[in-house]
Amino acid sequence: MTNKYREEAPGYTMTTVMEEAARCLLCHDAPCSAACPADTDPASFIQSVRFRNLKGAADTIRSNNALGAICARVCPTEKYCELACSRSGIDVPIDIGGIQRFVTDFEQQGDLKIIEKGDSNGKSVAIVGSGPGGLQTATTLLEKGYAVDIYEKNEKAGGYLTYGIPEYRLPANIVNYEIQRIIDLGANIKYNTTVGKDITMTEIKANHDAVVVAVGASEGKVLSMFKDNPYVESAVDFLARVKENQDDIVDIPGSAIVIGGGDVAMDVSTTLKRLNVKNVTDVAYEEFDEFKASKKELAGTQKQGVTIVDGYVPERVNGNEVTFKHRNIDGELKIKADTIILAVGQKVNTEGLGFVTEHGEVKFKGYKAKDEKVYVTGDIAEGDKTVVWAVRKGKEVAEEIDHDLLGGN
Amino acid sequence: MIKKDLSVDFLGVHFENPFLLSSSPVGNCYEMCAKAFDEGWGGVVFKTIGPKHFKVDEVSPRFDELTKEGTPFVGFKNMEQIAEHSLEENLHDLHQLKQDYPTKIVIASIMGTNEEDWESLAQLVTEAGSDMIEMNLSCPQMTSHEMGSDVGTNPELVKKYCAAVKRGSDLPMMAKMTPNITDMVPAAKASMAGGADGIATINTVKSVANLDLDKKVALPIVDGKSSISGFSGKAVKPIALRFLQQLREAAGLEQLPISGIGGIETWQDAAEFILMGATTLQVTTSVMQYGYRIVKDMKNGLMHYMEDQGVDHLSELVGVANKKIVPVEELNRDYKVYPKIDWDKCIGCGRCYVSCFDGAHQAITWNIKTRRPTVDTSKCVGCQLCNLVCPVGAITTGEVRMKPGREGNIEDIDIESARLTH
Repeated sequence: MTNKYREEAPGYTMTTVMEEAARCLLCHDAPCSAACPADTDPASFIQSVRFRNLKGAADTIRSNNALGAICARVCPTEKYCELACSRSGIDVPIDIGGIQRFVTDFEQQGDLKIIEKGDSNGKSVAIVGSGPGGLQTATTLLEKGYAVDIYEKNEKAGGYLTYGIPEYRLPANIVNYEIQRIIDLGANIKYNTTVGKDITMTEIKANHDAVVVAVGASEGKVLSMFKDNPYVESAVDFLARVKENQDDIVDIPGSAIVIGGGDVAMDVSTTLKRLNVKNVTDVAYEEFDEFKASKKELAGTQKQGVTIVDGYVPERVNGNEVTFKHRNIDGELKIKADTIILAVGQKVNTEGLGFVTEHGEVKFKGYKAKDEKVYVTGDIAEGDKTVVWAVRKGKEVAEEIDHDLLGGN
Repeated sequence: MIKKDLSVDFLGVHFENPFLLSSSPVGNCYEMCAKAFDEGWGGVVFKTIGPKHFKVDEVSPRFDELTKEGTPFVGFKNMEQIAEHSLEENLHDLHQLKQDYPTKIVIASIMGTNEEDWESLAQLVTEAGSDMIEMNLSCPQMTSHEMGSDVGTNPELVKKYCAAVKRGSDLPMMAKMTPNITDMVPAAKASMAGGADGIATINTVKSVANLDLDKKVALPIVDGKSSISGFSGKAVKPIALRFLQQLREAAGLEQLPISGIGGIETWQDAAEFILMGATTLQVTTSVMQYGYRIVKDMKNGLMHYMEDQGVDHLSELVGVANKKIVPVEELNRDYKVYPKIDWDKCIGCGRCYVSCFDGAHQAITWNIKTRRPTVDTSKCVGCQLCNLVCPVGAITTGEVRMKPGREGNIEDIDIESARLTH
């Protein structure tokens, strides 16, 4: 059972990756590369694969993206590079994520050291939160010669990468390897340290030239009707619980209702199925033609045998029985299950950080807070809430800090 | 279900179809040839039988492949020599095959080191019941320099050995030529002068296919070293077809009977060899990769081709293309054909733009916004490289224009090509 839960889909072999790379049209001014928020440059690394230069391909990915192996697995490529792929004009886009995974696996197997720490410039930056945004920020700053301290409230780094995304989609060893690389580069991670509780922002600011807040939206939202309901668990809590207790997961229900239509809802539903929960019903606010989850995750969830009902909102709850109403047509749905998991979004906790957020984002544009030493990045900064966007924002905030502190030289 | 007569007559022997295993690892014993017959091959050229005094001693490993992108076996390198079974076993197998498959054609390939060898081998395989003899004058990896392609490049030896075979047997005989020679015609003519009834060609091309970059040794590695040896498969097809043409255009060889060899794996390859002058077709590399079963689609596809061409006998197609290959100085150079771009089919990959700029005449302009190419006829020379690189067939041959100052009627110019227009 646990094996089934953990198992990642097999990746390409040398032969099959060459077949996939040969499908690539090697476009002039390639649209895929222009469509990658993190500038991972798929056109360049696929061309390298096509001409059998795997080390060169790894150079491209890694020098552009500190989380290349993670993005390869979790990026909703259908919304970015693969959406732009010219091959779609013939049949289906190139499996860019798959090729990227092959290259980063090759990089890991060979333990290639691609990014290097820059010569020390005497400046130091503190980063609050070690999720994708914080990790990329740290990497770019370390390459530029900054000293980097990361404050992480949990006992492990990685944020949602470590505590959220299920093992079958993103194995822990991949996340750990990516984080270890950044630690090897010089990042000093202070675990179990909540800023605002264990240490104050004032102290951190006093000890660093800049502070980057990359806390993300780490807490699950609970709709008011579900407050204090013993049958209810938030998706982030559920996923964290499963990841923490991989070989010994307790309280596996016989049936479950999942509420939500994003990738997190798909992760929860699929995980439940992989844990052998017999009846899993996901009820989504969106109808299928406006679905938030990526097509790949939706298809994977359906393949697991999850019942997905689209277009319904929860109307009332009585213990473990939820009544839903259709948003657009006259219709009601009553479902009773052993447990109810809410995947209806996350919220940000900025307690003690010195600013507030609205709808999960800070109220100012860009990365620089009012307090001139303080910057933000990751999900709380303006822009998409995906890993690849966190990478982009991490690179951008690091550039901005470098510009502010040293004129960008 | 298509049904066409694929039979051919070659050197006086009737074949139910033109597809033969070539003399190689694929026809090394009775069981192999019997299976090939069962799967529909018209005949086999049994793996070359040598004289008793020549001991075959093979290396391990002995093969290598050339790949491109995800495509395996673009070309194949092998180091095997001739049959490693005893002379008695081989003769027994020839006899048994003919007994059990009387309608199939059993061709004995032989190779000697001197006239006596050749003559006696010819006699022995004839007594075993073979239908035809092929003289292997062309194996490039023999451990004896008195054998193989070293002999095949020497017209005097070729003629002498052909005559020796003819003394030993009255069976129809073809001499198998090596491509490791600038001009095959003298060797072919020497064979015919020695008594050969036809030519089989090509044998493998001498090669070094790949290297191990860490060990800095060519492949396959045999105890730290490697050797030049024969290359075959799809990659050598153009070389084979060129030799067929050169033979068939030589004075006195216009009707030369040829058994074509070199990279045949589809009915289209087969049809090309026939149009270039081959009557029978020999195959090894694609069988090594895919098995004897490939003959099914070669036969069926060839029947459909005959039907499409309105042909009842393959003999009507033999050598038809030879006449239309002329010296380069005789080609019409008075016009050019511009490419025509279909923007509805175009998917905006820009490959035509890149290839035209980097590999041709900078005659395609690229609209960055719309991602669409346009042909600048003031620069275009009509080379059609863009047509070839377009992955979706959006570029075809378009307007034909006479070069300035040249005369001619555009309507009379034959530029149609299914291949160039995908």
